Amino acid sequence: MKTSSSRRSALVKLGGLLAGVLALPVARQVKAAVQQVLVTTPAPNGYDPTQHKWLMCVDANKCIGCGLCAESCKRENGVPEGPYFRTWIERYVIPKPAPGSGQTRGEVQVDSPDGGIHGFPELSLPKDQIEFSFFVPKLCNLCANPPCVQVCPVGATFRAPDGAVLIDPKYCIGCAFCVQACPYGSRFLNPVTKTAEKCTLCYHRITRGLKPACVEICPAEARLFGDMNHLPADDPLQKFYEKNRVEVLKPHLGTEPRVLYAGLDKEVR
Amino acid sequence: MRLFKLPPQILRLVLLTLAIVGSYLAARAMLTPPSFGQYGWYRGAALGEIAARTPVLAGKKACDECHSDILHKLAGDAHKTLSCEACHGVSRDHANNPDILPVKATGSYCIRCHEANPSRPAWLKQIEVKKHYSEKCVECHLPHQPTQTQ
Repeated sequence: MKTSSSRRSALVKLGGLLAGVLALPVARQVKAAVQQVLVTTPAPNGYDPTQHKWLMCVDANKCIGCGLCAESCKRENGVPEGPYFRTWIERYVIPKPAPGSGQTRGEVQVDSPDGGIHGFPELSLPKDQIEFSFFVPKLCNLCANPPCVQVCPVGATFRAPDGAVLIDPKYCIGCAFCVQACPYGSRFLNPVTKTAEKCTLCYHRITRGLKPACVEICPAEARLFGDMNHLPADDPLQKFYEKNRVEVLKPHLGTEPRVLYAGLDKEVR
Repeated sequence: MRLFKLPPQILRLVLLTLAIVGSYLAARAMLTPPSFGQYGWYRGAALGEIAARTPVLAGKKACDECHSDILHKLAGDAHKTLSCEACHGVSRDHANNPDILPVKATGSYCIRCHEANPSRPAWLKQIEVKKHYSEKCVECHLPHQPTQTQ
């Protein structure tokens, strides 16, 4: 008697479990439908991230240090005021070596006051003591092996199939591991939302067929941007990497950036 | 007649295991976002949410719709690479409603790029404003055709 009653209850439990498992997909669909209603995403239609492969090229020889890229980036993306930049300009000043020091150059000075938005202050160094000086625009290097993605404990940052490294602000917990992990310093914690933020390649622009704000505004064509999967033969991007000897920042880290530079110096990191 | 009788303690253990695994699967199904795994190990819907932002800069193409004559002038001279909004400021509002006028570009916009600076590349025309004239560049220079003067 006892065994039969326990078997019956066991069968009931098993049946319940089976029904639960069968109901799971339905529950999931209901949940997705509810989310669809609650979260409206007027995302651009027809953009398939698997069909694009973005590439950014920067010609440091052409950068005139006007700061329009950094300024327009802030306007475009609503980056808070203060020392928060998704893109910025660095000024490198390489002085002449002290006579008899046996060096080829003096100690390098790098600065980026306010990201270069309001220009660069006059150098304390007299002009005849400068060996050479130049500007380098910086941004997220769109690594193929992004260290920032590896360290995220909640999987909130990821590399999209089109090459953009993005942050899901709904899942970011603001731990700032990624800020430390990025070897290029292109991430920061937004003081308003308390989540990590970075260059999105102006994802809202490129998915609508526009160029990123910094590329759009650059008066010297120092920045070039395009889709390597659909690149016209006469595109300036094509000419850029055919004509120049391109390099990436910190190649020894194996991050495989998709931001190619021309006209760098060994001091640029 | 029973060939095999499952001892009750084993049966309880099996049921408990099934319950734990079942509740884990149920919790995972409910907590995982529906678009997780669409492109990889992340929420695929995040891409659309990031792209949902409205663009701010209108872009040169938008200017070309009405001001193609000025863009044509620009394309024939040294300022051909300049974006309109580099000097005239963000003009999306103006592009949507022509009655809202963009910022009037003044001489300080010229200085931004053309003030002499040892870090600037040598190919760029540079002046020392104080020695040159003043910030009234447009009194002589035509900003859309900078190689010409009036």
